[in-house]
Amino acid sequence: MNQTIQATQKIDPANIAARADSASKIYGIGESEVRALDNVSVGFERGKFSAIMGPSGSGKSTLMHCVAGLDSLTSGNVFIGEIDLSQLSDKEITKLRREKVGFVFQSFNLIPTLNAYENITLPLSLGKNSGDDSWIKQVIDTLALNDRLDHRPSELSGGQQQRVAVARALATQPEIIFADEPTGNLDSKSGSDILKFMRRAVTELKQTIVMVTHDAVAASYADRIVFLADGKIAGEMTQPTPDKVLDYLKHLGE
Amino acid sequence: MLRLSLKMTLARKGRLLLTSLAIILGTSFLSGTTIFSDTINNTFDQLFTDVFRDVSAYVRSSNSVESEFGESRHSPTQIEALETILKVPGVSAAVGDMQSYARVIGKDGKPLGKDQGPPTFGGIASSSSAGLWKVESGRLPVGAKEMMLDRETAQNGKFILGDTVRVNALSGTREFSLVGIANYGDVASPGGATFALFDQPTASEFLLKPGFVDAILVQGDGSVSDEELAKSIQAAFPAEAKLETLTGAQITAETTSQIKTVLGFFTTFLKTFSFIALGVGCFVIYNVFSITAAQRQRESALLRAIGANRRQVTIALLVEALIIGVLGSVLGFITGIGLSQALSALLNAVGLEIPSRGLTIEPKAIFFTVIVGTVITVLSAVLPALRAGRVSPLAAMRDTALDTVNDFRRRIIFSAVLLAGGAVGLVSAMRGAGARSLGFGALGLFAGVLFIGPAISRKIAMIIGAPVAKLRGVTGAMARQNAARNPKRTSRTAAPLLIGVALVTSFTALAASIKGEIRDTYGKSFRGDYALSVDSRGFGGIPTSITDQIDALPEVDKATGIGFVPAKVGDESRYVLVLNPKTTEGLYTLEMVEGQQSNLTKDGILVESDKALKKNLSIGSIVKVTLVDGRTLPLKLVGTYKNAFGNYVVSREIFDGSTNSLFDSSVYIKINKGTSDAQARKAISAISTDLGIGKLESRDEFIDAQAAQVNTILALIYGLLFLSIIIAIVGIIITLLLSVFERKREIGLLRAIGMTRAQIRTMIRWESVITSLFGAVTGVVLGITMGVVIVVSLVEKGFNAFKLPITGTITILIIAFVIGVVAAVFPAWRATRTNIIAAIASN
Repeated sequence: MNQTIQATQKIDPANIAARADSASKIYGIGESEVRALDNVSVGFERGKFSAIMGPSGSGKSTLMHCVAGLDSLTSGNVFIGEIDLSQLSDKEITKLRREKVGFVFQSFNLIPTLNAYENITLPLSLGKNSGDDSWIKQVIDTLALNDRLDHRPSELSGGQQQRVAVARALATQPEIIFADEPTGNLDSKSGSDILKFMRRAVTELKQTIVMVTHDAVAASYADRIVFLADGKIAGEMTQPTPDKVLDYLKHLGE
Repeated sequence: MLRLSLKMTLARKGRLLLTSLAIILGTSFLSGTTIFSDTINNTFDQLFTDVFRDVSAYVRSSNSVESEFGESRHSPTQIEALETILKVPGVSAAVGDMQSYARVIGKDGKPLGKDQGPPTFGGIASSSSAGLWKVESGRLPVGAKEMMLDRETAQNGKFILGDTVRVNALSGTREFSLVGIANYGDVASPGGATFALFDQPTASEFLLKPGFVDAILVQGDGSVSDEELAKSIQAAFPAEAKLETLTGAQITAETTSQIKTVLGFFTTFLKTFSFIALGVGCFVIYNVFSITAAQRQRESALLRAIGANRRQVTIALLVEALIIGVLGSVLGFITGIGLSQALSALLNAVGLEIPSRGLTIEPKAIFFTVIVGTVITVLSAVLPALRAGRVSPLAAMRDTALDTVNDFRRRIIFSAVLLAGGAVGLVSAMRGAGARSLGFGALGLFAGVLFIGPAISRKIAMIIGAPVAKLRGVTGAMARQNAARNPKRTSRTAAPLLIGVALVTSFTALAASIKGEIRDTYGKSFRGDYALSVDSRGFGGIPTSITDQIDALPEVDKATGIGFVPAKVGDESRYVLVLNPKTTEGLYTLEMVEGQQSNLTKDGILVESDKALKKNLSIGSIVKVTLVDGRTLPLKLVGTYKNAFGNYVVSREIFDGSTNSLFDSSVYIKINKGTSDAQARKAISAISTDLGIGKLESRDEFIDAQAAQVNTILALIYGLLFLSIIIAIVGIIITLLLSVFERKREIGLLRAIGMTRAQIRTMIRWESVITSLFGAVTGVVLGITMGVVIVVSLVEKGFNAFKLPITGTITILIIAFVIGVVAAVFPAWRATRTNIIAAIASN
C-alpha cells in the first residue's frame, strides 16, 4: 500500500504531457445521474509509458476520452502540454488531436480504403503536412512494417493492423499517444509484440504513451499505473509487475 | 414472424422514411398523369354533353376527308336543307350552325384572343329554339351590318350596345354595329373562346360561302325518339344530296371521341414518361433494399442463429417491402394529385393550354397506382430478401464485411450478349428496319449498359476521381476510394441519373438535328424578305384574300401563300401543301428532282421523290386526290422534289369555286427595291398583324422561329424528365445517408485522428460528385450513341443531319456536378454529427 500515493504529486509539473484538473463528467440529471468521473486530478509524464487501470465502469475510458479531447468535461479542465482544451473550438480541438495526440483503439483502427502507408501518414495528410520522412522511416522500421506498406487493412493480420495503428499514432511525433485496450482483440503473442513495440517507442523514440487496459500483464509494461474505481483515483503504482498489479486489484475489489 | 417483421419495420423509422420516399416519388408521377388525363377527358365529356344537350339531330354533308390524326373534316352543308328538315314530322325547330374563324378587333386596335389561346369563332345568332345562343341584352342581329357578341368577349373588350366592332374573317375585315349580347346556354362563353355572331346569310357570306353552313341543328318536339327523328330526316333527302343525319347522342360521342383521340396521343406520351420515372424509382427502391439488407446482415444472422429458417428471414424482408410499398404508393397517389396540377402549369408554361375543369379522381386510378407501386416495391425487394436469407448464422458473430469482392466474369458475358443484341437491333434500324427494331435495340443497349455497370463502375469512378484526388489531397483520395469501393452500389446509385441523362442527351441530339434540317429546308425554299405566318393548329389561318391584298401593296414586289389542307391522296389521308403557282416563283422554291415547279397547274401535282418511288409514280402518272368538298380530282404528276415538308403539292386553283374555305398558313413576301424595311413592315402590318392575323418576321427571324418550334416539345420532354432527375437525386441522397450510417465507425475514427468537419463534408461531397458524374458520363455516352442511331434511322438526311449537342453535353455534365454537390449536403451534415465516442466504442 505504501507504493500508492495520490496522483501528480511526484511529477515535476514542467514535465507533464497531459493532465486533468478536478475533472468531472456527469451523465444524466437528478436521480438517474451517473458520475463517470468524480473530481479527478491526474498528470501524465512526458517520455513515460503510463497505464490507466480499473474495472468496467470505473471511468477509465471516459478519463482517456476527455484528456484526449474526444469528449468534454462537465466541470474541471484538461491540458495537453500547456493548452487548456476547454478554451478551444471544435475545429481547434480537431487540429490539436491531429498534431499533438496519437490514438490506438481496440479495433477498427484503420481506414479500409487506404493502404498501410496511407493509413500511417493519414494525420499528416489531413493537415497537408509532409512530415519528417526520416522519422516516419524510423517508426516503420521500429514496428517492422516495411514489407506491408502497400497492403490494405483487409490483407493484414490483427497484430499487423495494430502495429500500423501504432505507427500512425507515432507519425506526427505527438505530444502524447492514447491507446484504448490496444491488445484487447489480439492473441497473446501479437498482444505482447504490440506492447513491446510501444515500450520501445517510449524508451528508444522518447514518446509518451497513456494506455487504458484491464489486463494486468499489459499494464505491467508501463512505467506507472493509475488506478480508477467509481470515477475516482483509487491509487497508483510505479515499476509494476503482473503479480503486483493483480495483488493490488484484489485489494481494490475488497 | 409476421409480428416481428412489423415491429422491425416500424422500429427503423429513418429507413422506412427513406425507402418510402423512393416509392412516393416513383408512383406520384404515375398517379399525377392518370388523374390529369382523367380530368381533361372528363372536362371534354361534360363540355360536349352540355353543348349538344338540346340537339335531337345533327345534319351535315356526308362529303368528308379524314385527317392524319383521325379527325374527319366535313364539307359545308347547303342551307336549303333547312326547309326540308322543318317539314319533317316531329321537328320543332332547326337552325344552321357555324363555328368558323373570326377575330374581333378590340377598341385599342389589337385583336382579342391570340393564335395559341382558345379558338376565336364566328357563328350564327338565331331566334330558333334549336340555336345554342340566348340573347341576354339587346336583340338579334339582322342584315349585313349587325352583330352580336358573347357576354365574356363583350366584357373583356369593354364593348357596349351600339358600338362599332371590327371583325376579320375569311372574306376580309369589316365593321359591324353591336346590337346584342348573348349567353351560351347558361354560361358567358364556352371555354374562353370568343364568338362573333351574325344572322345566317351574313355569317355564311362573311365567314364561309354564301348559302352554306357547317351543319344544321335540329330540335325535336318530343313526339318521337331521337333515333326515329334522325331516320325520318335522313329519309327526306335523296342520296344525291350527300347529307347525313346523326342523333344528338351520336354527334356528342363523335366529337368527344375525336378530341380524345388527339388527347390520347398526348396522354400516352405523358404515361410513357411516368413509366420512365417509375422505372428510375425502381432502381432507387432496389438499391435501398440491397443496402439495408446488407446493413442488417447481423440482425438477419442473429435471427438465423436463434432458429429462424431462410424462408422466414426472406419473408420478413418481403413483408417489410409490402408494408412500405402500400404506404409509399398511397402517399405517392396523394402527391400525384398535386403533381397533376403542376402538370397543367407545365403545359401552360410551354404554351399548350388544355382546358381542365376541377379534379377527377377515379377509384380506378387509386387502385392502379397502389397496386403498381406495391408490386414494384415487392419485386425490387425479392433479390435482396433472398440474399438476406442466405446469410450464414455465423455472420452474427463477425464484423460485417463491407467491401465485397466480386467476380464479374459472368456479368460481363451476359452484358456483352445484351449489348450485342442491342447493337444488332440498332444497326438494322439504321439500315431502315423501322421503329420496332430501334425499340428493341435501344432496350438491349440500355439493359446491357445498366447490367455491366457494376463491372465498370470501379474503374470509371477511379478515372473520374483522379483529378479530385490530385486537387483535394487525402480527402479527395478517400472520396475517390469511397466512390469506387462498392462497385455495385455505385452503379445502382448512378443508374437513375444514367437513364435520365441518356434520354435527355438523345432527345437533345435529335432536336438539334431536326432543327438543323428545318433551317436547311426553309433556308433553301424560302427566298423572300419577310414571312407572315400563323400557328393555327389546324383552325383558320391567313385568309387567302389577305395574301392577295399583301401581294397588291405598292411596297411589295410579290407575296405568295402556302397552305395545308387535309385530303385523301390515293387511299391515304394526308395534309397536302397548297401553293399559288402564279406568285410562287422566286419566293418559295422546291428542290426539284424531276420536272419543273413552274409546270404545276390546276390539273397537276408535285410528289416528294421518295414517295413517288414507293408508290411507283413517275412523270405523267395520274394521282387521284379527294378533297373535303367531295370532289375527286385526277391530277397529273408534273414533277418530283425532295427536302420539303409534306409529300404532295397542289395548286391553289383547284379550290376555285369550291365550298372548301382555304387559308394560308404562311405568306412569303418580297418587298420592292427602294422600299425601306420600316415602310414595308408598316404597310403589311396594317392589313395583317394589326388585325390579329399571323406574325410578321424577317427571313432570319422566321427561320429561327420555325426551328424553335422544336424547343416547345423539347421543353416539355425536359420538364417530364425532370421528375426522373429528382428521383435520381433523392436516390443519391438516400444511398449517401445509408453509406454514412454504415461507415459511422470509419467517420468516427477519422474525426478522432484529426479530420475536421469541413474535411468530412468535402470527402462526402466529392464522393457524391464522382458518383453522379459516373452516371452522367455513361449516360452521355449512351445518349449520344442513341442519338446517332435515332437520327440516322428517323431523320431523312441520315447521319449528315446529326448534330453533336456540345453545349448540351457540357450543360448536362455541369448539372450532374451540381446534383452531386446538392445531394451531398444533408448526408455530409449528418456525417459531421457522428458521435466520435459512440462510433469508436461500438465494438
